[in-house]
Amino acid sequence: MENNNTEKNQNFSDNSNNGITAQNKEPRIIAFVCNWCTYNGADLAGTSRMKYADNVRVIKLPCTGRIDPLFVIEAFKKGAKGVLVSGCHPGDCHYTSGNYHSRRKYTAFRDLLNYLGVDISRVEFSWISASEGNKWVSVINDFTNKIKSLPNNSDIFSKK
Amino acid sequence: MEKMNEKIQNIAKELLENKEVNLIIGFTKGSNPLRMRSVFITDPKDVSKLSFNSHCVQDLAVFLKKPEVKKFGKIGIVVKGCDEKAVNTLIQEYQLSRDNIKIIGLECHGVIKQNLADKGENSLNQSTVYDKCLSCEVHTPALYDYLVESDEQAFEINDNSIKPYAKIEELDLMTAEERNGFWQNEFEKCIKCYACRQVCPLCYCTRCIVEKNTPQWIETNIEETGNAQWNMIRAYHLSGRCIGCGECERACPVNIPLMLINEKMARDTFEKFGYKSGIDINAKPVFGTFDINDFNDFIK
Repeated sequence: MENNNTEKNQNFSDNSNNGITAQNKEPRIIAFVCNWCTYNGADLAGTSRMKYADNVRVIKLPCTGRIDPLFVIEAFKKGAKGVLVSGCHPGDCHYTSGNYHSRRKYTAFRDLLNYLGVDISRVEFSWISASEGNKWVSVINDFTNKIKSLPNNSDIFSKK
Repeated sequence: MEKMNEKIQNIAKELLENKEVNLIIGFTKGSNPLRMRSVFITDPKDVSKLSFNSHCVQDLAVFLKKPEVKKFGKIGIVVKGCDEKAVNTLIQEYQLSRDNIKIIGLECHGVIKQNLADKGENSLNQSTVYDKCLSCEVHTPALYDYLVESDEQAFEINDNSIKPYAKIEELDLMTAEERNGFWQNEFEKCIKCYACRQVCPLCYCTRCIVEKNTPQWIETNIEETGNAQWNMIRAYHLSGRCIGCGECERACPVNIPLMLINEKMARDTFEKFGYKSGIDINAKPVFGTFDINDFNDFIK
């Protein structure tokens, strides 16, 4: 799983240089997930042989509190069409309060993104626990469909 | 204004003579009568240099973050209400000890826009002051050791069509695409001089995110994506902290309306978390704490 993940990340950055934003390509979605809940949830979906959209690339971090909004911008800059940030449910954080802090941060960050003219439906947030493989599948599928239905707008972070 | 200057000078003299502070940061007359500049006084004989009028646009709290100034230990500072909020925020964020600072608060009714003053504008009224002065809630500073009252009359607000930061409401009504276009035009001008950061009293990181290059988060060259990223992340780092002194916008050589972003974020944090920056030195910074019942609607 570990190796798989790094390989996918590698792919992501390689492809970005070849312009994955081209219309004919499948949209790339980056999921920043926390190590303790959502990553295990995604793992469960995998081990249970559930099928979900393969547009998503998972990047594992210790906690949602570690997911700096800069990561989201970086993903957009490198050509991602959508970004998902996902972690433990409120009260479940492995580090007690990381997800509460990140919720506050992202409330402000979303407003800022929106104000600067980035389509806010391109950034999604979810709480997915280690036992919610089903939820992971539905969140990814819904999000992918939503991203596919969006017009191919540019934003201030991607190259023209 | 003479009375006010005299009062400031007397306080400064007393502080320096009693060794309560080692340095006074204040305003003095600049190269032309409509320009003021900062002055650093260590000798009680020099206090006659201190002066104040409605051209004192600078936020002197910016010097409190400098190591050259910090080494003086106990410092006295002359501040307007808006600048004093920066001092509060620095204390709140443990960048400054309340014991090491003597605040000489000034009652201020507003300062005249520097670009107008350079053209000879000398009257204080609704259309000549900065936007921050129109919505100012701290004509008398929130916290001070000494208060110097103004001997001038406050200007009257008689034209209701002049709203502070009116462009924010305008932007809110636009579509995402139009907003994108607006900011693209603005950020395009950015020359990455980082004047906005240097002049900001709250940008005190010894190593800014833009200078970190392993990995290089923010592109340092002047091109659209790097510019947008820089301006966006600075606004984000200041959201919930910015005290609205407007120095970044004043210092910007290419006139990017940075206060439109900062003010918007200040309004947002107030709306979402009921927090206003720089009012209370004992309050926890808004993003340093949380509430279990925080806004949760956007999360699936």
